[in-house]
Amino acid sequence: MQKPIVGYSFNKPKTTRGTSMRSTMLQNFVVRLVSLSLLSLGLLQTSGAAMIGTQQGIQSGAQAARIVRIETILARDDVARQLVAFGVDPLAVQSRVANLTDAELLVLEGKLDKQVAGAGVIGVIGVVFLVLIILEFVGVTDIFKRV
Amino acid sequence: MAVGASQLTNYSKRFAQIAALLIFLILTGCSIIPPVLSDYGPSPSPLELVDTPFYSQQEFQCGPAALMTVLTASGVETTLADVSRQVYLPARQGSLQSEMLAASRAAERVPYVLVPTLSSITGELATGRPVLVLLNLGVSWLPRWHYAVVVGADADREQIILRSGTDERRVMDASVFLRTWRRSDFWAVSLLRPGELPANPDRSRYIEAVAGLEQTGHPQAARDAWQAGLSIWPDNAVLIFGLANAQYALGNLSAAELLYLDMLRGDAASLIARNNLAMTLVAQGRNRDALEQIDSALELADGSPLLEELLDTQRIILSAVNGASN
Repeated sequence: MQKPIVGYSFNKPKTTRGTSMRSTMLQNFVVRLVSLSLLSLGLLQTSGAAMIGTQQGIQSGAQAARIVRIETILARDDVARQLVAFGVDPLAVQSRVANLTDAELLVLEGKLDKQVAGAGVIGVIGVVFLVLIILEFVGVTDIFKRV
Repeated sequence: MAVGASQLTNYSKRFAQIAALLIFLILTGCSIIPPVLSDYGPSPSPLELVDTPFYSQQEFQCGPAALMTVLTASGVETTLADVSRQVYLPARQGSLQSEMLAASRAAERVPYVLVPTLSSITGELATGRPVLVLLNLGVSWLPRWHYAVVVGADADREQIILRSGTDERRVMDASVFLRTWRRSDFWAVSLLRPGELPANPDRSRYIEAVAGLEQTGHPQAARDAWQAGLSIWPDNAVLIFGLANAQYALGNLSAAELLYLDMLRGDAASLIARNNLAMTLVAQGRNRDALEQIDSALELADGSPLLEELLDTQRIILSAVNGASN
């Protein structure tokens, strides 16, 4: 089971209890390794740097192409770190971020915890909450009768 | 004691009012008039893709299961474990929409986000493609996001048929489906094989989907998809540009060159076409032609956000010229 990484500025999804210094160092190492390999991935993708991509061509009115590229590389790095922190196998992170578009990366950057995540099962907290409301409602009705 | 009890009763009354309101909202899903299928455009005769495979979800893993269903239906050979590795987010116990699209790209499929109408779903079904949807089974303030796959629609009975969670054939009242789908802003995706077109193609959505494939390093899939797009929008400059870029990425330089020239015949002032044409020429060792193209682009580039990019290209060409003369 992957524990969340500590020591980064984004919101941590869960508690970091029981994470020993040693495993933290190991995880930091893994994150750096992933970041490094991502950086090389970024260089690979921009090796034909002076070619203008289709999406970039459509949007080129908005912002200088070079600024967009740098922003995207930073966003890719940030999203990769977040994925590791959210429990994704570091070995899978590279292909996951590689298939996100620039626009998707910029949306996810720093906000992975706020995105819609389809889960498929009614969460325990949700059920308890609903049951509580209904139970309270029944109890309250008794009080009305007494009055 | 008496005062305390009456305070408690007041508190309870208020609580009861709030609870009653909450329950009302839950039951009504915050909408009063139930929508019906015909409100969402004409629906063809009952239709169900009975051969669509089913993968039962494991805990919280409706994203991987639903994606696996549409990938397999689209002819991709993969495993649920592998799909889960690509889209499941353990700490969120769910899957993100953008990662569902990304994993489709990894499988060389065009993740086309449908125009938010029911007829675009039934159109896809009619061509044999099941549709991945995001539903909110809860309400906006207590969301229960859920991925499922629409495999059928029956307008006579007002029913939608889904592969959903652990249900191989979930029959949902159309009004429930439409309410829960509406809460995800009608998010629906069809996976196209490169070369396939959506049943009701929307040009800008199609371009966005294919450009995403190009951007994430799938030039072959992108090329086939741009070509399919050009079969219905033959004169569109973005599609021509996209196809040219895909040909360049695949190393088909002379095909790319012809396409950039084609684009420049339509718009001689296109800086993106001229820049990429110059890059294509220098890649073929035709440095003088390349220099001529980039210089004429630079003459038009005053104040353009692409100026830096054009200067980069000029530098690359000049160093190629110097390298050749040494």
